[in-house]
Amino acid sequence: MNGLVEVINLTKFYEKRKMALDHMNLTIPRGKIIGLLGPNGSGKTTLIKLMNGLLEATEGEILINGRRPGPETKNQISYLPERTYFQNSMQVNELISFFSDFYKDFRPERARQMLANLNISENARLKTLSKGTKEKVQLIMVMSREAQLYVLDEPIAGVDPAARDYILRTIITNYNENATVLLSTHLISDIEKVLDEVIFIRNGRVVLQDTVENIREYKGKSVDAYFREVFAC
Amino acid sequence: MLGKLLKHEWKTVWKVPVLLIVILMITAVLAGLTFALPIWDSEWVGLPLSGMMLILMFYFAMIAVTLGIQIYFAVRYYKNMFTDEGYLTHTLPVTSRQLLLNKTITMSLWNLIAILSVVVSIFVFCSVMILALAPKDSSFARDLMEAVGAWPEALKSPYMDGFEGFCIGILCMILVSAFSGSMMVIGAITLGQMVRRHRILGAIGAYIGFTFVIQIFTTVFLIPMMVKMSTSPYYDNAFEAQSPFPFMTPFYFLVTGVSLVVGIGLYFMSEYLIQHKLELE
Repeated sequence: MNGLVEVINLTKFYEKRKMALDHMNLTIPRGKIIGLLGPNGSGKTTLIKLMNGLLEATEGEILINGRRPGPETKNQISYLPERTYFQNSMQVNELISFFSDFYKDFRPERARQMLANLNISENARLKTLSKGTKEKVQLIMVMSREAQLYVLDEPIAGVDPAARDYILRTIITNYNENATVLLSTHLISDIEKVLDEVIFIRNGRVVLQDTVENIREYKGKSVDAYFREVFAC
Repeated sequence: MLGKLLKHEWKTVWKVPVLLIVILMITAVLAGLTFALPIWDSEWVGLPLSGMMLILMFYFAMIAVTLGIQIYFAVRYYKNMFTDEGYLTHTLPVTSRQLLLNKTITMSLWNLIAILSVVVSIFVFCSVMILALAPKDSSFARDLMEAVGAWPEALKSPYMDGFEGFCIGILCMILVSAFSGSMMVIGAITLGQMVRRHRILGAIGAYIGFTFVIQIFTTVFLIPMMVKMSTSPYYDNAFEAQSPFPFMTPFYFLVTGVSLVVGIGLYFMSEYLIQHKLELE
């Protein structure tokens, strides 16, 4: 059976000089939580942006459920970028109405429940919220969809350990079990416990794709320790 | 999906332009009301000067509204499409065409509303001024009514020949300029994104470039037209005994035609760039 995402010979140059992805080939299966791991500048965010149609590939292609990135695939992917990307002037309830209008798989009652759990007022304007709270609102919006693929770029970077736990709990308890969660992060030890598989990338190429279980069993190390070994400077 | 995009866009954007238009109308009323004040005959120059300042403020408010609305939508387009907010815009399950149509329709309609607001504000200013002056001069209202009543007769005069065509030309130019003005901004910002390291400078450069190209095109078409007109026996004494409108109308249609072609061209260029060359930072 084909994977959910097929990356075929994918190459990306920035301004015809800097190569971010180098003829990458990759298959991302369904129903897994996968860590996309690599050092800074390895191409993680570029790959994610290409999946979401925010960049154009120089060569090769990405297929999500057999389709190139477009309106149909955007209906299937729930994407959390590594930045605050909602309009600051919006109220939280306006965001709920916005997501409800555009994404058929958005569950407003789930979003409201999560907001209530965190004591975030639906009437609050985003510009009045702290950076950490804004990030939580973003995560709530993204995880309130019943998407086939959740792409979370650095979801726990820049938040305190308690918030990290909340975020990971939110991810685990809210994703659709037939869906895949692709998590990109540097903070491997924090997310290791939730991962089924990992993909290591370096210089725009996949250097390893394996299950967490295999790494522990055959390498005798945690993913974090193995990552440090593979990417030792 | 285009309907949903338009709904959310209008819900978000209406406040700023409406506020600007309200300020314009208040300024128009205040400027008109100065004629009711006993300041114009004052011997101290400061009083009539302050009245003139208010009228001048109305003039600047008209410019500020049209320019302000244009700038507001330009900044919004840039932020929505090419900054962090673009991460939401471009991951919505809609096509690039729908995204661009949403922005084009909204910006064009608000440009048109801005132009109409200026026209309405002039009407408001004149009305308030007339109401303010009428009590001071008992014959003022009667003279005004006579002037309005004479208008249908004046239209039949040979000096007004072609006036209807001229009005249609102006109307077409206003409608098209609302669209082409928007496309100049959208096209310039979109093209500016191709200059990856200096996106805003690129957009400003593109806008200046577009203006220059339009000037050249208009001139290229205008010169032969004017030569042809000036050699035509009909226009030998155009400014002496005949209506100027048949002479002026083709110019407005020419500008409208050039603007429309440029606007459509910029729309397709922008659509192509967003679809095939998008690179969010």
